[in-house]
Amino acid sequence: MDAPRDGRLIDATPEDLMERYVDGSAPAFDALYRRLAPKLYAYLLRLTQDRARAEDLLQVTFTKVHRARSSYIRGAPLLPWVLAIARRSFFDERRAAKSRTEDLSNDGTLPEPAPSDEPVPPELSVALERALASLPEAYREAITLTKITGLSVAEAAEVLGATRTAVKLRVHRGYNLLRERLEHFNRAP
Amino acid sequence: MTSNPESDKLAELPWPGPIEPREHVSEAIRRECTRDLAGRRGLGTAQRVALSLLVSAGVFGLLLYHGVATRPESAWRAALFGALGWSVVHIGLLVIGLARPPGRRGPRSLRWALVMGVPLAFLVYLGFAASGAVPFSEFIRGEHADWATKCGLFALFSGALASGATLLVWRGTDPLTPGLSGALAGVTGGLCGAYAMGCACSATEFWHVLFSHGLIVVALGTAGWLIGRRWLSP
Repeated sequence: MDAPRDGRLIDATPEDLMERYVDGSAPAFDALYRRLAPKLYAYLLRLTQDRARAEDLLQVTFTKVHRARSSYIRGAPLLPWVLAIARRSFFDERRAAKSRTEDLSNDGTLPEPAPSDEPVPPELSVALERALASLPEAYREAITLTKITGLSVAEAAEVLGATRTAVKLRVHRGYNLLRERLEHFNRAP
Repeated sequence: MTSNPESDKLAELPWPGPIEPREHVSEAIRRECTRDLAGRRGLGTAQRVALSLLVSAGVFGLLLYHGVATRPESAWRAALFGALGWSVVHIGLLVIGLARPPGRRGPRSLRWALVMGVPLAFLVYLGFAASGAVPFSEFIRGEHADWATKCGLFALFSGALASGATLLVWRGTDPLTPGLSGALAGVTGGLCGAYAMGCACSATEFWHVLFSHGLIVVALGTAGWLIGRRWLSP
């Protein structure tokens, strides 16, 4: 690919980059990866709460995107398209992992996660990250999509397969829980 | 929600930003995704809609040919008018439900309303278009039942052909609403099989048209929803 066209990759939208990638441009994939991977990884990390699993899923997601690139329809918003693939990969992986390794307690029920006894961290950013991790999955996912990956409520609703009202409600309830868990910092001088 | 002062405070929190994956992970992904990078531009939505319609037109043409060859002209002519009306609905469903790229396909509620409403409207239409009804207890026995079963299986096969081809044409295109898009593909194919069967089959009896011609729309819509969740997502 010639240099001026490569230069224009910086200004191209993710959708433009995807189209060039579909046409066979490796530099376009590189630029696309730099745009998408940090957002996708941040999303997967908060879904899995496990770095290695998030990295595995990132690879799975990009491999699926690579294989399915010819079925990308021109004009489809790319970030929700890719996030939806990542989300599906996560649920497929979790279902498969559960069926392999689920340990039941003696009465046949699933074991409850151990309560966290970690002390309140002094740094607000660390406390926020922990509070976010402790939210129920639906709230955490809605907040991650709208606050961290930067999707609009409408786009997040598409990715989650929910209505806009449901997403707003999840974000609102998640915020309320976060506020409760960060009360310590609100009281600090 | 944003006007809530408490939420505004949360908006000022140090939210974590996007995170760079580790370099070796990125390298592995780049290597994998730039291998065999020949151009692979797929079909656009207009071409996919056209292909879906072409298959349905083929199915309809075959059944119409059968009807023309075996039924009196007045019978297949009347059925043809109904079929043409429903083919307009069929095209409308494809255009409204699938013709725009995923993420820009309009409200999910409207698309679900179409998936539910069109089969229902078709069943009501069949109810009004039917002439005469044998008692149900009589219908489920003897030659009525045999004919209805054969006819229903043939209609189901025709509809499945149209639905399956439509699902194949849209395969891997919609990670956002794969079930809903699959249901739309199923309903359009089922509708095609059903209105085409109206031209091929001489029965006008209420239970026959309801079970043998009408219910395949519901059945293939449901099957499309189940299959679409797997097939239509990359």
